[in-house]
Amino acid sequence: MAEARRTEDRLREEYFQLLPEIRRVAGQLQAQINYCLLPIANALEAHEQLIVKSRVKDCESAVNALRRRSGEGKSFDDDQPSRYSLANLNDLAGLRILVFPRRRILEVDRALRETFGSWIADPVESEGQVLAWKYHGYCSASERVRGEYQIVSMLTGLFWEVEHSAIYKPAPRLRSVARSLAMQQRSKEVFEALKAFEDEFESLIHFKTPPG
Amino acid sequence: MTSLATKQNLLDAGGYVYNIDREVYFNRSAKKIFSVDFLEDHEGPEIEQSINEKTDAREWRFYFNSPPSESVKRQVVESLG
Repeated sequence: MAEARRTEDRLREEYFQLLPEIRRVAGQLQAQINYCLLPIANALEAHEQLIVKSRVKDCESAVNALRRRSGEGKSFDDDQPSRYSLANLNDLAGLRILVFPRRRILEVDRALRETFGSWIADPVESEGQVLAWKYHGYCSASERVRGEYQIVSMLTGLFWEVEHSAIYKPAPRLRSVARSLAMQQRSKEVFEALKAFEDEFESLIHFKTPPG
Repeated sequence: MTSLATKQNLLDAGGYVYNIDREVYFNRSAKKIFSVDFLEDHEGPEIEQSINEKTDAREWRFYFNSPPSESVKRQVVESLG
C-alpha cells in the first residue's frame, strides 16, 4: 500500500512540473484551432453551431487516468515504478470541438488535418461506430506535453459533459462504472437515440419546403 | 459478434459482479476474475467456457488479455475486500 502511495505521489510531483507547459499547449492549440476553423465558423447557417472548448486536465484526473490506462486490473505495478509518467498521457491539454449538425464534422476534420496532418488518429468508437474523431500529437509549445483534440457531434459532446459533471466530476472513482458491459450497452442506446434525433432533424431541414 | 447484452447475461447467470475500482467482474465462490478488456475482446462461447472451466477454487484465477504481475494481482484481490 505504501508503495502505491509513493508511485502516485511521484506522479503528483511530475504533474506540477509539467503544468506550465500543459497550459501553454492548451492555449496554443485553442488559438490555432479557432484560426483554422474561422472560415467554417463564418459560413455557418443560423441553426448551425461550432464551439471550441479547451481544458487542462487536473492533477487527480491525470493520475487516475494513468492508473486506468496502466492495463488490466487498473493498478500501478509497484515493481516497475519508472514505467509511469504523466507525459505519456495524450490529453493533459485537450480541446473538444462541438459541431451541429453532424454533417459539418467532416468539413471541420478536413480543415484541421491541413494543420495537424502528422497527428495520430485515435477515434472514439462504440461497436464499430465512430462517436468522435480524435487526434493527438505535439505542437511547438512543448516537446514533452502532447495535446489532443476531438471533433464530436454537439449532442453527443453535451451528453458527455452532463455525464461528467453530474457523476464523474464529484466522484472520479465512479468513472469506471462506464466501462461495465451493462453501462456500455446503455450508453450505446443513448448515442443511437441522439444520432436518430439529429438525423431526423437534418433530413427535415434538408428537405424543407422552399419559400413560395 | 457477441453483443454486450449477451455477455452481461452470461456474467449475471454465472453470479459475477462488477468492481468499479479495478474494472473487473468477479465471483468470490468460483474465485475467478475477468477484466473488462478480456470480456470486450473475446466472444460469448469463449467467455462461457471460461466461466464453466473447472478449477480447485483455492487460488484466484485471472482471465486477462495479458497475464497480470504479482503486484497487480495482489492489489486487485485486496480491492475485492
